[in-house]
Amino acid sequence: MRFIIVAAIAGRILRVFGAAFLAPAAVAAGYGEWADVPGFLIGGVLSAAIGEAMIRGSRGAGQDLRRIEALAVVASVWLMLALLCAVPHLWVGLDPIDALFEAMSGITATGATILTDFETPGRGFFFWRAMTQWLGGMGVIALVLAVLPRLAIGVRQLFFAEVPGPTEENLAPQIRKTAGTLWKFYTGLTAVEVVALMAAGMPLFDAVCHAFTNVAAGGFSPNPESIAGYNSVAVEWIVIVFMFLSGANFALQYRAVLGYPDALVRDDEFRAYVGIVAGAAAILAVLLWQLESAGAPIRTALFQVLSILTTTGYASTNFELWTDQTKVVLLAMMFIGGCAGSAAGGPKVLRHMLIGRFTLTELRRTLHLRGVMPVKLGGKAVPEEVIRGVLVFFLFYVLMFAITTAVVIGFGEDLETAVTATTGALGNIGPGFGEVGPMANYGGLHPVSKLMLIAAMWIGRLEVVTVLALLRPEVWLRAHWQGITPRR
Amino acid sequence: MHIIIIGGGDIGYPLASALCTDHDVFLVDRDPLRAHRFSHLDVEFVAGSGTSPDVLRNAGVERCDLLIAATRLDELNIVACSIGSGLGAKRTICFVTKEDLLEQRSGDDSLHRNFGIDEIIWPEARLAAEIERIIMAPGAVDAELFAGGRVELLEFRLEADSPVVGREVASLALPAGVVIIALKHEHATLIPRGQTVLETGDKVVLMGTRDGMNRLRPVIAPASSNADSQMVTIIGGGDVGFRLAQKLDEADGIRLIVIERERERGELLAATLRRALILRGDGTDLELLESEEIGRSDVLVSVIDNDERNLLASLLGHQLGVRKVITRVSKPSNHHLFERVGIDVALSARGAAVASVVHGIDGGRSSLLAVLEEGQARVLELAVPGGFSPTAVRDLNLPPDSIIGSVLRQGSVVVPHGDDRVQGGDRLLVCCTEPAVPGVRDLFAAS
Repeated sequence: MRFIIVAAIAGRILRVFGAAFLAPAAVAAGYGEWADVPGFLIGGVLSAAIGEAMIRGSRGAGQDLRRIEALAVVASVWLMLALLCAVPHLWVGLDPIDALFEAMSGITATGATILTDFETPGRGFFFWRAMTQWLGGMGVIALVLAVLPRLAIGVRQLFFAEVPGPTEENLAPQIRKTAGTLWKFYTGLTAVEVVALMAAGMPLFDAVCHAFTNVAAGGFSPNPESIAGYNSVAVEWIVIVFMFLSGANFALQYRAVLGYPDALVRDDEFRAYVGIVAGAAAILAVLLWQLESAGAPIRTALFQVLSILTTTGYASTNFELWTDQTKVVLLAMMFIGGCAGSAAGGPKVLRHMLIGRFTLTELRRTLHLRGVMPVKLGGKAVPEEVIRGVLVFFLFYVLMFAITTAVVIGFGEDLETAVTATTGALGNIGPGFGEVGPMANYGGLHPVSKLMLIAAMWIGRLEVVTVLALLRPEVWLRAHWQGITPRR
Repeated sequence: MHIIIIGGGDIGYPLASALCTDHDVFLVDRDPLRAHRFSHLDVEFVAGSGTSPDVLRNAGVERCDLLIAATRLDELNIVACSIGSGLGAKRTICFVTKEDLLEQRSGDDSLHRNFGIDEIIWPEARLAAEIERIIMAPGAVDAELFAGGRVELLEFRLEADSPVVGREVASLALPAGVVIIALKHEHATLIPRGQTVLETGDKVVLMGTRDGMNRLRPVIAPASSNADSQMVTIIGGGDVGFRLAQKLDEADGIRLIVIERERERGELLAATLRRALILRGDGTDLELLESEEIGRSDVLVSVIDNDERNLLASLLGHQLGVRKVITRVSKPSNHHLFERVGIDVALSARGAAVASVVHGIDGGRSSLLAVLEEGQARVLELAVPGGFSPTAVRDLNLPPDSIIGSVLRQGSVVVPHGDDRVQGGDRLLVCCTEPAVPGVRDLFAAS
C-alpha cells in the first residue's frame, strides 16, 4: 500500500467536502444563531485545509489505484469525515466522545443519538445533524465522484467499495454518470418528501430535516419524540412511504420512474423485500391488535417494521413499552436490513437470499455428489466469489456483533441493551430496546462502549470487510509512502 | 449442375459422395492433405480458403448453380456464401451451429439480404427438435418435422392393449388435422385404406398439425400408460444435448437430468437451465448411472459426439432398465447395428441434413422430405403449378399407394379430405410407397 496515493485521493474528497459546512452555517445565520456559525466555518476550513495539505504532500502520486488502496481511501475518508463532522458538535458544547458518536451516527445514517437536551442547540445544529445523514445515506464518495470531473483514478473501485450490497450495478457505462444519476434521483426524492410533509402540516424546517434523514434511512429527528411528536396520521403515512423507498434499490427505482417498472417488479430482491414488509407487518399488527392499547395497529405495525427493517430508526410510538412477542418481530427486522443499492444498512435482503439459496443448494448437493449446482438469482448463476464474499460478510458481521456486545456488557449494560445497541450500531439502525429504546438515548453508556459502538457504525456502514481487510498484517508490512521507484 | 462444396469434413464428404455421380462437384478445402480422402470420388478438389475469391474462381464460381458452405466455422460459412453469391453463384446453402444465426431468416437483419444466403441448415437443431417430439409424444418411436415444424410426422408401435387394435382405419375417431399416412405390417409397408385393420405390433405413421398430434394420445395409446410425468436423462451436453435440454426444461411434467463430462460446459448448462439437474461425469460410468438411479428414467437420450461411447452409454441405460433409449448415430454404417442391439431410436443429425440437400437438388418441382421404413415409403413435397385450377382431392388421380398428408397454403396447414380442393401455389406433402414415387412426381407435369 502506498500512502501517497491514498492521501492524494482522500485529500481531494476532503477538500470538496469542506463546502458542505457552508449550508448549516447559512441556516444558523438565517435563524440569527450567530454564536453557532463559527463552529461550522471551523469545520469547513479544517476539512478544506487538511484536504489541501494532503494533496500538496502527495504531489507526484501515480495514476493507478490498487484494490487495497481503494479500500484504504474509503475507510479513512469515512473516519475523517466523522471526525470533521464532529467539529460543530464540539462547538455547541458536546463532550468529545459524544460529539464523535453523534457525528459517526450522522454520517453513517445510523440515527443513534446521545442527545438528551433538544432545547438548547440551535436550528443550524439540527440541520447539520440531518444533513450529515443525508450526505452519508447515498454516499459521500459517490457525491464527490459525481461533482469532481477530474478525479480519474480508480473511480469504479471507490464507488463500489462504498455502495451497500454484494452486487455491482450500473446505470451508465461511466461510473461518474451512474453516481450523478443516483444523486439526482435521491435529491429529487428528498424534494418530493419536503413538499409532501409540508402539505401535511409540518413546518418547513422540520420537513427538510425529516426528508434528509428519511430518504437516507438515517432516523435523526429534531423532535425529541421523533415522528410521534407530530401526532399526525398523514405525516406517518408519508414517512412510511418514503421509508419503504429508502430501503429499496435506488437504481431500479430510477429505471421504474423512467418508465420501466418491470425492472423493479421483476427483481427478486424487491419482491422478497415487499414480502418481508407485508409478512412482518401483518404479524406485528395482529400482536398489537391483541394488545389493545395501541391504536391503528396496521399503521403502527407498518411504520415500526419499516423503520427497523430499512434501518431508519424513527419511532411513531414508544415500542419499548410493548410485549416481548412484539419486540422480537422488530429484533428479527434488525438482522435483515434493506435492499442492496439502497440507503439502508444491515446485512441486506439480497445477502439473506443468497445465503438461503446457497444452503438449499448445498443440501441438494449432498444427495447428488456429482451435481453441478450454481446458486441462482433472477435466473442467472451467481459467481462463486460473490457467494464466498457473502459468507465472509456474515462471518465477520457475527464476529463484530459478538465482540461489541461483549464489550458493552462488560462495561455495565444489561443483555437486552447490549445486544440491541450493538445491532443498532452495526446495522446503522439507531434505536434498540432497554436503555437505548426509541424514547431513550445512548448518552448513558460507558465511554468505552460508546467508542466501541462508533467503530461498529463505521465498520457496519462500510460493510465490514472493507475495514477489516485493512487489518491484515501484509497491508502494513508492505506499506510505504511513495511506492518503489523503478530503476532507471 | 455445377456445385461447389466448401469444407470436406463430416458434412462435405457425404454430400460430395452423394452428388458426384450426377453433377459437377468442386470441393474446396483449406487442407491439401484432405485431397486423398476424395481421390476415389469423381470430384475436383481445390485446395485453398473458401473465402478467397481466387480460389472460388478456380472452382468456377461464375457458372456455379449451387454453393454449399459446410465448414466447422459459422462465420467462415457466411462469408464464403456472401463472396460466392457476389461472384455469381445462383444459390447458396449455409450450414450453421449457432442459434442466433438461425433466427435471422427474415427481416432487415436477415442473412439473405445481407449476405445472399438462400438457405440456412442447422443439423443439430433439427435433430434436437425431432428428439424432443419423440419424447413429448409418449409411445412414439420416430418423429419428423416439416414446414418449419408446422407439420409433424409421428410413428407409433401398436401394443396389444392399444384401443385401436383390431379396428378399421375408417372407424377411428382421430382428432381433426391428423391422418394415417403409412402402416408397416410385419415387413411390408403400405398406404392404408379405410377398410385396413390395425393389428398388434403394427407401426403406424401419422401426419398432422401439432395441435392434432397433441390430442392423439388418448386415441391411440392405452389408457393406463402414464405420461403425465416423465424422467428424462440426456447424456452429453453438446450442441444437440444443450438445445434439447433447453426445450425439455421448459416443458411441464418432465424431470430432466443432464450428464456432461466437461466442467465448464456443465457450468454453462447449470447456469442456463432452470430446473434440470446437471451431473458432472461420464455417461458410460456405471457407478454414476447407478448411484443417480438413471435406470428409473422413462427416456434416455445419448447424444455424445462419438458413436462408440453413445452405444456404450445407451446399452448401459438399457441394461439398467430405461424404458426407451434414443441415440445419436453419426456414421450411417452404424445405424443398423444400433437398432439391432436394442436401441429404440437411432437418429443422425448430418445424415438427415445431407439427405435433404441432396433431394432438394434432385427433385426439381418435388423434393423428398423423409424416408420411412428403410426406404419402403417416402414423404415428398410437391409444388402445385401456379395456373392449376382448383380440383377436389378425390379427382386428382393420385397414383395408388399414395396419400396427401397435408396441404401448405400461405402459411396455413390443411389436412385434406376427399372433398377439399387443391389449387395453384399450394405445396402438398405426399406419402407414397417406393414404386409410386415416379407417378407422384409427375402428377402435375402435364399441366
